Amino acid sequence: MRKWIRGSFRNRIFAVMLLTALVPLLLGGALTLRLQVERIESGLTQQAERQLDALQAALDEVCASCADIAGDLSGSTVVHSALHRGGGGSRTLYQVLYRTSEPLRDYARFDVADSGGHCRYTTGAALPTQALDTRWGLLPAAGEAESLVFRSETGGGLSAAQAVRGHAGELLGYVIASVDQAGFVKLFGGRYDATCEVLLLDRQWRMIYYSRPAQAGETVGALRAQLLSGAPLTGADGDYRFHAARHDPTGFTLILQQPRTFTGRVMDTIYVVSIFVGTLCVLLSLLSTWLLSRYLSQPVHQLDQAMGQVEQGRFDVRLETGREDELGRLAGSFNRMTEEYRANLERSVRRQRELNETKLRMMQAQLNPHFLYNTLDTVKWLGVAHHAPQVAELATNLAAVLRSAISGDEIITLDRELDLIERYLAIQSIRFEDRFTCEIDVPERFRSCLVPKLALQPLVENAILHGVADLEEGYIKLTAQEEEGDLLLTVSDNGPGIPQDILEAVNSPEKRPPGGHLGLFNVDSIIRLHYGPRYGLSVLPGEGSRVRLRLPIRREEALPC
Amino acid sequence: MRRFFILGLLLLFLSACAAPEPGFSFAPAEEDRLVIYTSHREAVYEPIIKEFEERTGVWVQVETGGSGDLLARVEAEAEAPVCDLFFGGGVDSLQSRAALFEPYVSPLQNQLQPAFRCDSGTWTAFSSLPVVLIYNPVLIRANPPDSWQSLLDPAWRGKIAFASPTVSGSSYTTLASLLQVLPEDDQALLEAFVENLDGRILDSSTQVADAVAGGSCYIGAIPEDIALQAIANGRDVALLGPKEGTCTLPDGMAVVTGCPHGDNARRFIDFALSEDVQRYLMDHCSRRSVRADLRQEEEGRFLAFDSFDYDAVWAGEQRETLLAQWRALCGEEGGGI
Repeated sequence: MRKWIRGSFRNRIFAVMLLTALVPLLLGGALTLRLQVERIESGLTQQAERQLDALQAALDEVCASCADIAGDLSGSTVVHSALHRGGGGSRTLYQVLYRTSEPLRDYARFDVADSGGHCRYTTGAALPTQALDTRWGLLPAAGEAESLVFRSETGGGLSAAQAVRGHAGELLGYVIASVDQAGFVKLFGGRYDATCEVLLLDRQWRMIYYSRPAQAGETVGALRAQLLSGAPLTGADGDYRFHAARHDPTGFTLILQQPRTFTGRVMDTIYVVSIFVGTLCVLLSLLSTWLLSRYLSQPVHQLDQAMGQVEQGRFDVRLETGREDELGRLAGSFNRMTEEYRANLERSVRRQRELNETKLRMMQAQLNPHFLYNTLDTVKWLGVAHHAPQVAELATNLAAVLRSAISGDEIITLDRELDLIERYLAIQSIRFEDRFTCEIDVPERFRSCLVPKLALQPLVENAILHGVADLEEGYIKLTAQEEEGDLLLTVSDNGPGIPQDILEAVNSPEKRPPGGHLGLFNVDSIIRLHYGPRYGLSVLPGEGSRVRLRLPIRREEALPC
Repeated sequence: MRRFFILGLLLLFLSACAAPEPGFSFAPAEEDRLVIYTSHREAVYEPIIKEFEERTGVWVQVETGGSGDLLARVEAEAEAPVCDLFFGGGVDSLQSRAALFEPYVSPLQNQLQPAFRCDSGTWTAFSSLPVVLIYNPVLIRANPPDSWQSLLDPAWRGKIAFASPTVSGSSYTTLASLLQVLPEDDQALLEAFVENLDGRILDSSTQVADAVAGGSCYIGAIPEDIALQAIANGRDVALLGPKEGTCTLPDGMAVVTGCPHGDNARRFIDFALSEDVQRYLMDHCSRRSVRADLRQEEEGRFLAFDSFDYDAVWAGEQRETLLAQWRALCGEEGGGI
């Protein structure tokens, strides 16, 4: 990854831009989401706390009033004397009972029971028939306490009792207050949101009241188990938040069950949408930074590539940017620079060629060719006259070779070059007493091709002198073929082959002559000078020596110079 | 350095994503807790546990189930006990697992009837539960089954309601009583009894009462309290004691060895033996008290049965063997111990 980033200017730009685009975007998005959830949740918590306060105030009031009423009744002489007397039906007591319990009668029922637990007076509809257990539950607890004792009823509801004691402290009976589900509905009604539910639990979290009685067992059981196991209070299913507050006077716990705004399902949806939007953002930033980084880095990349091409010798490279900024100007400068360089190079090559031609002309001028021709002609006729035909032939061929060599044409047809070679071979075969044969296999269609003068002759000479000179049955073959539009001329022999150091020197790009075999290097330089670096001479591997010339196919009508 | 900075930023961000749950400070302290495994019916344990909580302020967590299953759980948790007090099950089944329990002799033990005292303290008797025979008085008008032998009478074949002893402790006690009372060879008796059940095996004693009252079975053998409750609820059930005598084996309580809240467990045992609880059992649960001072009162309320000398030690020792034989005969797989 790091390598990828560092490897390219564009990748660097891309990585930095992607980072600067994505990180703030994603961070900001997630943070906003979290803050929003947090804000709503804390709002809900505050709401719940307000409602809990209101509920607690209501419970406080009822408990305090209950205690007052129970205190009044248990201290009332009317109650004392009625309980002393035993039985029921005291109208005075009923008057006192109704008057005292007036403020709470909407919520609570008040009973007065005798010391045996038999209920004698009640504000309810009818007197309970069954006596209360004085050894179990509420009454013995009240008997032991000074003040009002609160207890939850099995299955819900709240009971409170206070013992009524005579002057000597003897137990006369009990004042009992009970609030049933309906009482709590009235008490708590309107003090909390309709979407919420209220739970009142006793000291050990058994239910006293639940505004949703059908789920009481399930919810209270789950809450109690969660409390004891130390788990967060989530109820039977996780769709609610539970806010709890302890009611200190009784030790009871008030719980507000508030529906979660962000239930698992809602949160899932939010996350899915966020992930979708996030992915979209990532894709968009990827695309835009990709394009932008390309726009920024493209000219640099082009320049880099063009530079590489120039290094490989292609001076016709041009940068077309169409931009007018710094990068555009840079491209312009590059174009001018390569153009200048190319012109410079051409100038120096031309100068070199002119120099070479001058040298050649000077060499040619050093001998008077006509003098040589005439002398050779004389030798020929002397040969004929003295019946020495080999001398005559030798003189004829040598004259032809000489004429060709010093003629002014630099480029001649392959046909003429081959003719020259045949004459040269005729001379050499006399010298080497026919110890070698030479086969020229050039298709007719190549014979009109143009080749530099004396391009092939040095190769044949090389094959004879370094190849077949010491053999009894030497064999030289000259072939021509076409490859990729180029003319390939190959001279091969069955001699010992070209020494390894020469072979490497010829085939190496520098073409530095190692001392001998100058002919090969000269031919190579001439071809390169004429046709460019693609062309030239190479030595092929294999038995004997195989030297090949690569030339462009040009014919007489398209003569460039 | 920069990488750490980015990493830190990310972590900070992620931690901000975790929504804090509101903490509650209402949970009771460890010393105010008690975990009870009970095989009693809810009508029996719930009021007693509620009263215990009210009087002591201890929070009780209750796990319910068949006594066989619960004992298996206690055994499985022996390394790290969860349960403090095992509440319910015949004392024979508690005795057979004596290693699981920590001896405790309640200071109230001397107020119990001598037959219900356990000197080793492995268990403490809670209530006395004679096994009775029940029948449907509508379906059987004359000659009701009146003996253990009746359970083997081919006349009742397929009409006997019986709970699996692998699940129900009281059912095991019934089975052991049958084998002890009748003189024949145990294996032969067991085979004859299973044969007579004809594949009708229920999950609990309450289901036995329901099956008899509902008429799907004619007779059954269950603990007395369940029969009495069914009668009190006006169901068609009549009960009588077997004439060979019945087993008056009590059900018990035991403190689990190495339990986390042993003090509260012992407190609960003392509370359960108190006169208030024992009287409550008689008044509201149709159960016979184990206290000596309530014996007199008891005689007025419950039928007098002949009892035979139930060999709890034998029953404890034979439990595994008998249950294995039972399972083999009935084709039950696993289930209880």
